[in-house]
Amino acid sequence: MVQTVQVGAWKGNLLAGSPDADMYTRATIALNALLALGRDETMYFIASQDDAGHPLRSHCSYRVEGVPPNARWWSVTAYADDMFLFDAPNKHYSLNGTTARLDATGRFVFTTGGHELPNTHWLPTPGYRGMVLTLRLYNPEPELQAAPASLIPPTIKAVGACL
Amino acid sequence: MKRWSDHHRLWFYRVLTLITTAILVHMLAVWAAPRLIMQVLMHGPIAQTMNMQNQAAFPPPVTAAARTVVMPSPDLLYSVCAYDVTTGPVRVSANPNLKSYWSIALYAANSDNYFVINDRKADGKPVDLWLVSEGGTSSARPIPADARVVVSPSKTGFLLMRVLTGDYESEKAVIEPARRTLACTPA
Repeated sequence: MVQTVQVGAWKGNLLAGSPDADMYTRATIALNALLALGRDETMYFIASQDDAGHPLRSHCSYRVEGVPPNARWWSVTAYADDMFLFDAPNKHYSLNGTTARLDATGRFVFTTGGHELPNTHWLPTPGYRGMVLTLRLYNPEPELQAAPASLIPPTIKAVGACL
Repeated sequence: MKRWSDHHRLWFYRVLTLITTAILVHMLAVWAAPRLIMQVLMHGPIAQTMNMQNQAAFPPPVTAAARTVVMPSPDLLYSVCAYDVTTGPVRVSANPNLKSYWSIALYAANSDNYFVINDRKADGKPVDLWLVSEGGTSSARPIPADARVVVSPSKTGFLLMRVLTGDYESEKAVIEPARRTLACTPA
C-alpha cells in the first residue's frame, strides 16, 4: 500500500492515525504528529523545504500562495523544527479557511519570516532555526481522499536574500 | 571444503547474537515508542494536573506556550479525557450544537485513532457513546439496548474533542459552553 505522497514541496502520510499503519509509521506519527486523525477526517501535508528544494529556515522570508483546497476547511500553520508554534508577537500562527482573504483570481497569499512584508498576511517565525509548514484539510472531498496527489499544492518561494 | 575452527565459530555466533539483539532492541523501541508517549500523555504530570482520568478536562486555547503535544493546531479548541474501561464502560456524551466543525476522536493506547464522530456524522443529534473493552460489556449498570457501543482496542485510551475556532476571543461566549457539554464518566 502506498503510504506517502508528495505534491510540490508538501509530503503527506496516508496512514497517519490509521489502525492500518505499520509500526514504523505509528512511531513516526507519535513522535511528530501525535493524535493525528485518519485520512477521511483530516489530511495532513508537511513542507520542510521550499519549491527550490532548500530547507525552510525561520529567518528567511517565504511567500506561500495557493488556491483553497477541496476540503470543508483548511489551514496552514508554521512550526519550529521542534514541532511547536513560534512565539508570534501578533499571535498569527496560521492562515486558514476563515482568515484567508482571496484575491480576484481566488488565490490566497501569506508570508513567513522574521519581518513583515507589505500587503500580505504575515506569520512571524522569529529566531534562527529550521521550520516546517503544515497544511491541514478537514473533511477533504472524497476525490481528494482517493487521490491525494491531485492536491493543488501551495507554492513556497523564498523572498529576497536569506541572511 | 575447509571447516571453521572453534575460534571462528565462536566469533560467528557472537556476531550473530549481537546482530539479532540489535534488531530485537530496535523493533522493541519502535513498537514501544507510541505506547510510552501515550502513557505520558494520559498519566504524566500534566495529565495529573489537568485531572482528566475518566473525566473531561478543558485546556485553554493553544498558544506558543503550549508544549504538551507536538504540532498543536492554533485553530482548534481542544478538550480531553483519559479513559479507563478496565472496571466497566465509560460513557461519553456531548451536545455542542455548533454549525462549525467539531469532532470527538478516540485513540487506543498505541496511539491509533480508531473512532471519530464529527458534527456532520452527528447530524445535529447529541453524542452518546458507551466505551467498552473488547469482550467486556459487563458492569454494575447494564448498557441500554439502544446505546451506541464503541469497543476500545485497549483498556485505556484517550479522547480528544476538537472545536474549530477561527477567532477564539470573539467566539468564546459560544464555543466554551458548547465544548463543556462534553462528559466522560464511568457508567
